[in-house]
Amino acid sequence: MSAPGGKRLLVVVRHSPYSSSLARASLDVALAAAAFDQPVSLLFVGDGVLQLQSGQDCDALGVKNLGRLLASLPLYDIEQVFVDAEAAQHYRLDLAAAPLPTRALDRDAMAELIRTHDHLLGF
Amino acid sequence: MLPPGAFDREGFLRRLEDWTPGVARQIAAGENIELSEAHWELINLLREYYREFDSSPAMRPLVKYCGLKLGAEKGRSIYLLSLFPGSPAKIGSKIAGLPKPDNCL
Amino acid sequence: MTLHTLNASPASAAFADCLRLLAAGDALLLLGDGVYAALEGTEPRRALDASGALLYLLQPDAAAAGVLGRIGSAAVVDMDGFVELSERFVRQLAWY
Repeated sequence: MSAPGGKRLLVVVRHSPYSSSLARASLDVALAAAAFDQPVSLLFVGDGVLQLQSGQDCDALGVKNLGRLLASLPLYDIEQVFVDAEAAQHYRLDLAAAPLPTRALDRDAMAELIRTHDHLLGF
Repeated sequence: MLPPGAFDREGFLRRLEDWTPGVARQIAAGENIELSEAHWELINLLREYYREFDSSPAMRPLVKYCGLKLGAEKGRSIYLLSLFPGSPAKIGSKIAGLPKPDNCL
Repeated sequence: MTLHTLNASPASAAFADCLRLLAAGDALLLLGDGVYAALEGTEPRRALDASGALLYLLQPDAAAAGVLGRIGSAAVVDMDGFVELSERFVRQLAWY
């Protein structure tokens, strides 16, 4: 995967959606990079995969719905979205029902993914 | 007419539920825009985007969303710029009563 | 190869997540409570050794924790050593 637009950024997302502001912060970085035409990929690991749970409803909590924000990532041309397959399996997550299309990776594939990016940002 | 206190310093509506078509006309007047049918189509689209994604769009996703929902003819930045000159995502969101887009250039 | 920094105890999710992405040939620098992951004979240390990553501890943090005598062959670096590591690895990823 070449990067004519700039260095390739991989944002590693490892926090559940509503435990802290970190989940939101990681998505904001990805959206900002995409808005500036920087190639950006996302990798959900550990508890971060919980952001991909379908049917999030934040009306009672009164915070922004991260599931719905995730659904807009393809409109930002963020289409390289990867998931820690073991974590998804650990939580019995139905990735087919996730807010956006993802690719599940095993441990070796995640290591390879990291090698193909120039910059890593972890949240 | 809403009082000045209903808006933040940049003129964005503080409370989404205060929005009405009349409020949209009030905000648009402040931007020297007279709302046509084409404007309303886009305002409704912006509000639909907000309901769907719980966020105001930056320019790139707004262009794509217009293309998807209104056809390729309208999914172009030049079309959006003709309706909301300068910064379509920002000014359009403002008139549609939405929060300021986070990643607004 | 990637330089990982871990600033969280081996009981944390940060440690578990870091371990999943740690590849052979990577380096892991332990900071703060992260230094406890290097304790010899513990399960976290066994997992780190099995990863094939190079293990480093930040001297002031390891000294404060009193673990310098319990980390076996793991390397200890001062702040200058930290800077050198950062220069040696193109990618860096922080776990906290």
